[in-house]
Amino acid sequence: MVKAFRRLLVLLCFCLFLPLRLAAAGKKGDQANNNPIQVVSVVKNHNKFEYPGGWVPLPRILLANGHWYFFKSTTQAIKSGKFTEKNGELVPANGGDIDLDLSITSHLIYFWISMLISLGIVLGMVRRYRKGYGRTTEPKGWFQNMFESVFIFIREEVAEKNLRPELARKYFPFLFGIFILILFMNLFSLVPWGETATADITVTATLAVVSFVLTQRNSTKSHWREIFWYPGVPIWVRFLLIPGELIGVFTKPFALAVRLYANMLSGKIMIVCILGLIFVFAQSFGRGAGWATSVVAVPVTVSLFALKAIISLIQAYIFSLLTAVFIGLADKDHAPADQAAEVHA
Amino acid sequence: MALLGAGIGAGIAAVGAGIGIGLIGQGAAEGIARQPEAYDDIQGVMILTAALVEGVALFGLIVCIMILFGIGQ
Repeated sequence: MVKAFRRLLVLLCFCLFLPLRLAAAGKKGDQANNNPIQVVSVVKNHNKFEYPGGWVPLPRILLANGHWYFFKSTTQAIKSGKFTEKNGELVPANGGDIDLDLSITSHLIYFWISMLISLGIVLGMVRRYRKGYGRTTEPKGWFQNMFESVFIFIREEVAEKNLRPELARKYFPFLFGIFILILFMNLFSLVPWGETATADITVTATLAVVSFVLTQRNSTKSHWREIFWYPGVPIWVRFLLIPGELIGVFTKPFALAVRLYANMLSGKIMIVCILGLIFVFAQSFGRGAGWATSVVAVPVTVSLFALKAIISLIQAYIFSLLTAVFIGLADKDHAPADQAAEVHA
Repeated sequence: MALLGAGIGAGIAAVGAGIGIGLIGQGAAEGIARQPEAYDDIQGVMILTAALVEGVALFGLIVCIMILFGIGQ
């Protein structure tokens, strides 16, 4: 325990030196443009992967005017003469628009990294349990203890509370997998140079589509009868209910995607805004006002980061919880009586 | 004008979510005060409902952000 704490302290001390380099890099950029500060509307370039001390360009895969183009980086795409840059975005040199942009973005890279990390952790833990730690003996070490408590929490609070036992057994691996995958993607927002993959609507929409497919795959006859022919009400009400229920089927995954996306994005925007206040005040009232603002803004940002860590955890939990609830709702014949209350997202 | 709309919209979304989550908190607090042993169940339902309320508010927020950045014009 003391050892782990000391390791954490060393890591924190190391992190203190990182912002210094960041500040040095920022100074160079400030002198380059003397435009009024546009704090929020700076669109970040996602076609490069940043790491401490530098960045590498990521490949571009584009479909324009019926042709597929593959480039190693954005600069190479411009060099080839087939594309030009306009307002910070690539456009085909001979007119027209890019029809489909399948470029590998930093969000996708962080998606893969999170996937590898969660896969590695789970497979490592599986090997440990196969060896007998935790099955024949007590779980060994702080990491296995933490893993097991999370694992059991998801199994009992998410899967078994909302699903009947057979389904809980069937869907628990998915629920747990999506929980730690989203958790790691969210937590990367706290790392310097890190990108929040879940602050991208395409990532969360993909996850929501997966949960939508799994929900429908397991839907029962009576679930669909309630959508198209609601039992126990007059006939004209049944016709009235059809569009509402049908929309409800699709708003559930849509709400799932937008909720995660908006939560992670708003955390990001809030931090940029509050740190941006320093520069806005410094520009309009002089350097002293900037210093004075930073006394307030920096502690607020620190507390916002703490809030973000909690939100990362809660949102990952809510995504897997709601997926379990929706699967349970589509499984209407077998739902327990207290679950009869309709949940509309 | 668009900025004004985005600001007002974000404010109204926040008001709606605030009222909704406040009502949930009131209900949960009263329930727990009456039946402290049902704490775990009430907490689970509370988080679920709060997430649903918050989701609706965030729809509004996303629309405001889209107006602010001029996405979809």
